[in-house]
Amino acid sequence: MKKVITGNHAVSYGAQLARSQVIAAYPITPQTQIVELLSEFCASGKLNAKFIKVESEHSAMSACIAAAATGARTFTATSSQGLALMHEMLHWAAGARLPVVLANVNRAMGPGWSVWTDQNDSLSQRDLGWLQFYCESNQEVMDTVIQAFKIGEKVLLPVMVILDAFVLSHTSEPVDIPDQELVDRFLPLPPVNLPYKLDVEDPHAFGALTSPDHYYEIRFKIQKAQDEAVQVAKEVDEEFKNILGRGYGIVEPYRCDDAKLILVTSGTITGTARIVVDSERVKGRKVGLLKIRMFRPTPIKELREILPRAQKVVVIDRNISFGHSGVFCQEIKSALYGLPVQPTIFGFIIGIGGRDVTAQDIEEIVDYASKTEKPDSIILWRGVRL
Amino acid sequence: MKFEIPQKEYMYPGHVACPGCGGAYSMRMALKALGERTIIVIPACCWSIIDGPFPLHACKPPVFHTAFETAAIAASGIKAGLDIQGKTDITVMSWAGDGGTLDIGIQALSGAAERNDDFIYVCYDNEAYMNTGIQRSSATPWGAWTTTTPAETPKSEPKKNITEIMIAHRIPYAATTTLAYPDDMIRKFKKAKSIKGTKFIHIFAPCPTGWKMAPDLMVKICRLAVDSNVFPLYECEYGIHYTINHIPKKPIPVEEYLKPQGRFSHLTKAMIEHIQKSVNFEWELLKQRAGVS
Amino acid sequence: MKWLDFETIPKVILEREPDYPPWAVSLTNTLVNRTGSWRIFRPKYFDKTPPCNDACPAHEKIQGYMELVKQKKFLEGYELIIEDNPFPSITGRVCFHPCEASCNRGEYDESLGIHNVERFLGDYGLKRAKAKKSAAHISKQIAIIGSGPAGLTCAYYLAKSGYKVIVYEHFSLPGGMLRVGIPAYRLPKDILNKEIRKLEVLGVKFKTNFTLGKDIFLDDLKQTNDAVFIATGAHKSRNLGVPEEKTRGVYSGLEFLAQINSGKRPRIGKEILVIGGGNTAVDAARSALRLGILPKILYRRTRHEMPAVAEEVQEAENEGIPIHFLVAPVKVIKSKGRITRLECQKMKLGKPDESGRRRPVPIKGSNFRIKCDSVICAIGEQIDLSVLTDDIATTGWSISADDWGRTNLPNIFAGGDCVTGPKMVVDAIAAGKRTALAIDSYFTSREIKEEPNPEITLFSNLNIGYFELAQKVTMPGLNVKERKRNFREVHLGYNELMVYKEADRCFSCGVCNKCDNCFVFCPDLAVMKSDDKYDFDYDYCKGCGVCAYECPRNAISMEEEEAR
Repeated sequence: MKKVITGNHAVSYGAQLARSQVIAAYPITPQTQIVELLSEFCASGKLNAKFIKVESEHSAMSACIAAAATGARTFTATSSQGLALMHEMLHWAAGARLPVVLANVNRAMGPGWSVWTDQNDSLSQRDLGWLQFYCESNQEVMDTVIQAFKIGEKVLLPVMVILDAFVLSHTSEPVDIPDQELVDRFLPLPPVNLPYKLDVEDPHAFGALTSPDHYYEIRFKIQKAQDEAVQVAKEVDEEFKNILGRGYGIVEPYRCDDAKLILVTSGTITGTARIVVDSERVKGRKVGLLKIRMFRPTPIKELREILPRAQKVVVIDRNISFGHSGVFCQEIKSALYGLPVQPTIFGFIIGIGGRDVTAQDIEEIVDYASKTEKPDSIILWRGVRL
Repeated sequence: MKFEIPQKEYMYPGHVACPGCGGAYSMRMALKALGERTIIVIPACCWSIIDGPFPLHACKPPVFHTAFETAAIAASGIKAGLDIQGKTDITVMSWAGDGGTLDIGIQALSGAAERNDDFIYVCYDNEAYMNTGIQRSSATPWGAWTTTTPAETPKSEPKKNITEIMIAHRIPYAATTTLAYPDDMIRKFKKAKSIKGTKFIHIFAPCPTGWKMAPDLMVKICRLAVDSNVFPLYECEYGIHYTINHIPKKPIPVEEYLKPQGRFSHLTKAMIEHIQKSVNFEWELLKQRAGVS
Repeated sequence: MKWLDFETIPKVILEREPDYPPWAVSLTNTLVNRTGSWRIFRPKYFDKTPPCNDACPAHEKIQGYMELVKQKKFLEGYELIIEDNPFPSITGRVCFHPCEASCNRGEYDESLGIHNVERFLGDYGLKRAKAKKSAAHISKQIAIIGSGPAGLTCAYYLAKSGYKVIVYEHFSLPGGMLRVGIPAYRLPKDILNKEIRKLEVLGVKFKTNFTLGKDIFLDDLKQTNDAVFIATGAHKSRNLGVPEEKTRGVYSGLEFLAQINSGKRPRIGKEILVIGGGNTAVDAARSALRLGILPKILYRRTRHEMPAVAEEVQEAENEGIPIHFLVAPVKVIKSKGRITRLECQKMKLGKPDESGRRRPVPIKGSNFRIKCDSVICAIGEQIDLSVLTDDIATTGWSISADDWGRTNLPNIFAGGDCVTGPKMVVDAIAAGKRTALAIDSYFTSREIKEEPNPEITLFSNLNIGYFELAQKVTMPGLNVKERKRNFREVHLGYNELMVYKEADRCFSCGVCNKCDNCFVFCPDLAVMKSDDKYDFDYDYCKGCGVCAYECPRNAISMEEEEAR
């Protein structure tokens, strides 16, 4: 059934179709519509879940972790300050190997207060063991939420599904909402099959003091699970495609085969960049695009395969790791390190705090990179008004 | 006289509490009352250690270790997770220290109590951050020494009254209890188990290490605390119906309670008098609330 | 210190989980962690001696029978007493109960009514216990001279061990001072008769109307028996030592009592003065009252120095007998050969004498006379040494014997008042019991040893918070009016409910009575409880000492661990 809905509601539908059992959330702009619709689902009986209306995001994540430990399928959504407040428990969810799914609406961090999009909130949480998916459209948002449960439950790691504030969260698009029966065919019914769970019939203590003799191995296993997640995500996406007819890949190369210059994007900038690629091709420039959908684990193999085809790689970051450069740019440089053929990498920062990123902006970036042999700086600031 | 307590144990020896630990003893009693169909939530506190390091456990029921400020919400989450799976007969108990309850955990606790989430919240109160090395908490009483309130400038604020804070949430059951009254403790845990909603049990749980006290006084000091009205035993239902469970025939002077504890050894006569006055004042207030003359 | 057995943990993990668990999930319990190695002090179950047991000359296991009474095991309680004292129905009535004076409960509310419980058990046993039949199987024969408490006790234990025993008695019925010295209102004759019957069933032979030095002789007895136990008591009344005391109307207290106790009514006047402050004086005065005469007691010191049991003095006063203190006789005034007045003088208390009591000193010119027609002189009893042979060592006033009744002669033993001078019935019983052991040891060379633990539990050793105030159960008795003109027993004894209630007041000082406190309060689950006892699990006990502190009765001791 096709419906014109916002990105936020796409999240809600995804969580509902995935048969979330325990939801704990706290309101924050621009995430509120997610929990509003889920509340309605719960109230009307469309979703049989316990919705704990907690008093903070920290508690939202704690409640999800605890509920997940019993084997329940759990979901929460937040944004920006809320995600930052969860930080401690985000560690805990990953360390406890619990497949909690979280939708984060990318929003800039205060101060000053901003409700508009950038990626600094979610990228600040990249090192915790969570899987991260950045979405381009409302359809992808819904589908990724459903996929996230399956991937997370397979590798026993929590998954963050990320969408841009307002550009997706509050923008309505037609979304194909699948039948429950189809989703059920794709995603096993809860409860989640955990190797150990809180169970009075098989009692264990979870998360006790762990000495240096043991802690190291447990952390090693998180990385192993992250490694494994690359393949799992691909397979799950394939399965999704087989059952529901849509797939996204963990990265999406667009007109990259013969490209001399490849743009690298994530989130909604991808859609704008796609138009620019087409218009540049009309102009005769061989420009391609690589959309990064799964950022954690980093699809290193894919990056090393696709990007060296071009002489130039232009990474567009809607975030800044202060003291260094854009996060995607850094990671791509690191991914390509050691290859015999190295493309020249341009790292652009753009759209911080929700400033518009237009097709013209991207055209000018492409133009600059085409005409410039080498970037004169590690960071190329686009549109800073000083 | 013989204490009638359930004989079955739900804890293993070999746990790593200090000798004479009031917290360890209290868990033993609580589990005797609650039985094996219980899940225990332990935030950062002495009990994070006591239950044993990975891969060990001392409690027979499952234990969920969680972050410092999340004792209450983790219980809410576990209860929700069990309920949605139809496992509705399991008691969930949060087991937090005074720091985890009165300080860092009060937000989540207040939230859970406001929602009346169905679990037992236990604060085993040893009146300071003992696990980290005896730093003051808002449960540390006026005049006490801790490593952050040295004897030259002992704690100058009175203890936060957490039980009254919880009672103000109008939760169905709030109670105080302590080690010297195992039958009282067992009864209150059983009662808490039988009630749906948020139950709060405040245990006065001595820490011989942090109180600079001989470990064999673990029980005795509790008796003195009750008999001097420093820690009255009472319970309150729905924030309204107070019952004082033990009214000392003739309260003993607080000095007798303070004396065996090194953490009070610096107190002057005037300071002890001040403590006596405030204990009398609080006791009168409690009696008023309970309608006892 | 190594406290966690990390070596076994990897093995445990490998058994359960060939690979490491995905995160910190426990795989076994803390039993692998033997926290007993932390211990500096070690608790030990170690029963102490309750002060009552210690104060009892016979070392009755008082706490022990109190526990049995609490469980309503009355017959077992009786059997436990008679291990140390064969005649609880007697001592339960006449003992001065030093046990009660030392009872820790006395410092808390009121001493336990130990002798009331003892009396109940004694009577219960007399009625219900199966009589032990003659069991003489040892070919040794022991002659016992005197059938007072020392002689009877020694006879009982020897007969029970299988010896042949013959008891010689000067009076026409056995019992010695129990029969002739103690009035029936304190010790009814049928109780005494039943106790003696118990011995006869055991096979003890009694030969009455045999007087040492007249009908029998020590030298003969030595020849015809394998051992002899002299238990002749102290039956010789002390003289007043005042002029004209041989006058008619002046009686000895013992003689007076002996006549009453043999069922005769002594010929005595209407105005009686009883001289003395001991039990004989009080017994004589109260007996006189029961003959319908109101006597006066004169005593040369004050109430505080009276050797008589305070309760008996109190009873005498309740019955209306006046006691005049600080008065001593000086001279008997007679007319027509019969006493008419007693001249006395007033006294005051001076410096303490060798008994520790303050010595009475006459006040000059304070003499006065009291009208009377009879004087009962009860100022003490002495031992008659004239009946002994010369080869027995004496102190000059008593027979020399050690605590086990051993005299200087190998097969001659002596005990009771004839060795110690007048003391309590239970002292004589203790002497009889110890001598029985010594005689047995004499024949068998079995070692005899004093067994009670020297460590006594005092009031300060108790955790008094565990005890609740409880009034002593009042002993029912005759009112003063009912006591007039008869020798009916004054105290009527506890019933089952009363005895249970009273025994329940016992603190069980120093002796574990399975109150569970150690088990209840152990924070380390290191007290193992079984049906009949507790044990410490030293693998896990950290030695905090809570068990010892919370033991209400001092039955756990903390000992320093040896350095490892």
